[in-house]
Amino acid sequence: MSEALGRVVATERKPNTPHEFHFWTAIDSPVGIGTIVRVDGAQPIDGQIPHIYGIIVEGFSYTDLQSPMHDVLGHDGLPTTAGFAATERAEIRLYTAAVLRQIPEEPLQPVPMGQVYLADEADVQVALRMDGYLREGANTGIPVGVYRAGGTDAVIYLDADFLLGPEAAHLNITGVSGLATKTSAVEWLLSSLFKHFPHEKGSIAAVCFNVKGPDLCYLDQPGKIEESDKSLYEKLGVEPKPFEKVQYFAPYTAKGHSLNTFRNNEALLDKVVPLTWGLREVLQFAEVLLNKDDVDAKADALIDFITQNVVDKEFSDPLLSKKHKVQSFADLEAWFRDVLQGMEKKDGESWRTHHVATIRKVRNRLSNISTRCAGLVTDSGTVSDLPFGSFEDRTVYVVDVANLEEDAQDLIFARIVSKLREHLERRDLGVKHLVVFVDELNKYAPGDGADTYVRKMLLDIAERGRYLGLVLFSAQQFRSQVHRRVVGNSGTALFGRMDADELSTPGYAVLSPATRTKLATLEKGQLMIRHPHFTQPIFVRFPRPSVMQGRQGAELYPQASEIGLDAAVFRALRPLDPTITLPWVQDMVALYGEDEIIRARNATLLARPDKVRPYFEAQFRKHIPAQAAPRPMAASIKSAPENDPYGF
Amino acid sequence: MLVSNSGPDAASRAVLRLLTDKLPGLSPIAGGTSAEPLTASDPPVLRAAKIVEGTVLRAIKVPDVSREMTSGFGAFLDGAQKVQVIAHLYGLPVVLGTISAAVRVRVNRRMTTWGHQPPRVQQAIYLPLRYLPALDTETLAGIQRSEWRVIDTSTADKNGDYPSQHPAVLVDRAIRAVDQQREELEDRLAEAWCALGESPLFIDGGISRTPTVAASTCAVGVIKSHRTLYVEGDSLTVVMGLKKGERSSVFRVSPRSRNSVLSWYLRQRAPEGHDSMWGLVRVEVAECDQPTERADEISRWILAEASPLALPDGRWDKMIYGIRDTEEFLRAIS
Repeated sequence: MSEALGRVVATERKPNTPHEFHFWTAIDSPVGIGTIVRVDGAQPIDGQIPHIYGIIVEGFSYTDLQSPMHDVLGHDGLPTTAGFAATERAEIRLYTAAVLRQIPEEPLQPVPMGQVYLADEADVQVALRMDGYLREGANTGIPVGVYRAGGTDAVIYLDADFLLGPEAAHLNITGVSGLATKTSAVEWLLSSLFKHFPHEKGSIAAVCFNVKGPDLCYLDQPGKIEESDKSLYEKLGVEPKPFEKVQYFAPYTAKGHSLNTFRNNEALLDKVVPLTWGLREVLQFAEVLLNKDDVDAKADALIDFITQNVVDKEFSDPLLSKKHKVQSFADLEAWFRDVLQGMEKKDGESWRTHHVATIRKVRNRLSNISTRCAGLVTDSGTVSDLPFGSFEDRTVYVVDVANLEEDAQDLIFARIVSKLREHLERRDLGVKHLVVFVDELNKYAPGDGADTYVRKMLLDIAERGRYLGLVLFSAQQFRSQVHRRVVGNSGTALFGRMDADELSTPGYAVLSPATRTKLATLEKGQLMIRHPHFTQPIFVRFPRPSVMQGRQGAELYPQASEIGLDAAVFRALRPLDPTITLPWVQDMVALYGEDEIIRARNATLLARPDKVRPYFEAQFRKHIPAQAAPRPMAASIKSAPENDPYGF
Repeated sequence: MLVSNSGPDAASRAVLRLLTDKLPGLSPIAGGTSAEPLTASDPPVLRAAKIVEGTVLRAIKVPDVSREMTSGFGAFLDGAQKVQVIAHLYGLPVVLGTISAAVRVRVNRRMTTWGHQPPRVQQAIYLPLRYLPALDTETLAGIQRSEWRVIDTSTADKNGDYPSQHPAVLVDRAIRAVDQQREELEDRLAEAWCALGESPLFIDGGISRTPTVAASTCAVGVIKSHRTLYVEGDSLTVVMGLKKGERSSVFRVSPRSRNSVLSWYLRQRAPEGHDSMWGLVRVEVAECDQPTERADEISRWILAEASPLALPDGRWDKMIYGIRDTEEFLRAIS
């Protein structure tokens, strides 16, 4: 047994309670805020010596000096002479600890007097109730970091049942930006999750929305790991290597030539799949893009009518000039044009109870979508999507929306989450558990402001997702400004270095001043954790993620600039067939319009055929070689009248 | 020496429980009362002493005094006592005496308890057995078989006279007995320290009570009270006029019942605005061949102990911090 490092003390003015106690230590004792200690009581209770585990939440230091003036007098008002004093004043280190656990747990009594010991690894497991889920044969522990204090290195585990459900679920991370905490923590935690999530609990995958910068764009590339990190990885039982299975999704730029992602460097394009949707996909989520002013009851009725009766159906009407089959935005525009022309011809104000003004308004708003979300929404109706139904175990799917307009981001988020939810409800997503990572919750699920579709979806995941296996890992800079039900439903919360203003908000009042101060000064790689099994927040260290960081990746694989269409097609097709050359592409596309070339490229990328060249070629209309038209027999020319005054 | 008088504590309650069982007529005093001596043991006197540094007593500026000077003291010895009248038996006082003593060692400028001899705490019941006929031999034996020692405060003095039955006189006898036992406790610790011959020991009080300590080069006694001033006539004026950082010439103190030591007065703090004894201490060291050098060296050490202040103790002008620390330690353990 290690030596005692302190003694419990209690006075009438500062008594111990069942949830808090005080103890003093030697001045050089290796304890501090966040250190876990064990108290061994002196008197047995029901024949058992009580053991109390606590975490230090506050510290005090003082001397026998009654007034600062006495010190001034003692040194003749000269601070520099204090160093010559023959004796240091008697000094105390007094700590307050919050009780983590008492054994026996009943009867729950105030902490007794006793000696205080530094908690070792076994003590930490008991103190945090980890012994309940680290049992042989029923181990659901997911290493989240290492608790370090006074020579004790103890792995801290989260309970998978409380991280991914069904008991509790979701994880929320708060921390100031720019300290590589939030994204790094999620990258590390996903690595640990993929490694340690019990196989008997089923498959697991993650969908990460990259909403800013290139942070999540190089998850498959190895990062720089220092020796200290390697030892942490070893301790935590995770191999320091990048994710083995990563798939990226990104829409095209507005021009449609290249992918709108930080990861569009040619060397990395093989794992990037275009994300393009057509009319059918978008119309289901029209309300994401149309605000309440746009979509009144009348407009809503017309959109419903179009969705039910027009899209993907043979539609005919006496008013229309022809039969329509609407499958793309272009088809829809043609349909609207025909309807409006028909109404103009009849000079009618309404058609099938829809007023002409409503029709014009809906046409305007819907047509606008393809402009606002250019690159994502295609006029042609080509769809390239996430592999719903065939998600693979231990795979990360990154959807890069960092460079998109807000509307497009909202649309992508709403549709993907809805589809994930639908598939999980039907149990046909391909995996049993899915983690969805969303950063910038301050933007997507603010505590105040309009009740947006995206916020509703996040609330829905937070409140009901765990029953489906849909788990939200979210992050933001200011937890206090995120919707309370989103953060409130997060069973696990991680805190990186915090802003002092944020810490002064009421949500942090439960933390002691010393803990708040520690939070404001946390180093990179340090986190404070709240987890359902831990009765108090715990500080841990986690290793630097073993994936390439955004900044380094951006330097090594600079983002490709906007290029010509032929070069873009060449870059897109070459990963499918390395024999394809730029001159071949140039020859192929020379005779065709831009829309046709893009459509052919998209179709080829979607099909990923074995024989790329013939498939790509087959997407174009056949051009019949030009032939000289036979010269028609020249007709006899009437002779001019002889008396023609203008004749020659 | 610390004299403290706190309210009822665990010890006095335990004694009362014991005595109430044994002595049915006992009348406890709620909370107990602290006991003060009827008269001071020594009346203020002036006493001549033989000067050993020069021929007349004079003020000498302690040389090489600076902020950077260091103290050679490695440890501090002090004792404490607590005298409580906890009950009356037929009007006669039942006194509980608690004495303690400790050596606190200074290591890297921090104080810690000397490990070689643990601090000592003793408690005893002081009873005037002669005047307590109800206390038969069997009852007394019963008390003494317990953890408590009983000390008779009604024994005859060296002249064979018994003390008066006046309760105040009996309390006074108890106080003096406690004093004496506390001094013995301190002396035993001082002797143990000197036997090991470790670093110089700062003793709160004189060193002349035991020959071993009085002759030891590692014991330095510092006396804060001046009921006996070892100067007369012009010498008194010199001592009272000492300025901060000045000492008197060295003289020899040879009490009849004690051992001969060298001594001098030292002014630790500027007396302006205070009484003439402000910051004045008398130092005792063992006889030596070079009293001047010894007095200068020890005086420098004491002056170096002027910081940190012993405040909030009221005697901070004369008390050094190491002694205050020892007193606080004794207060905590006794």
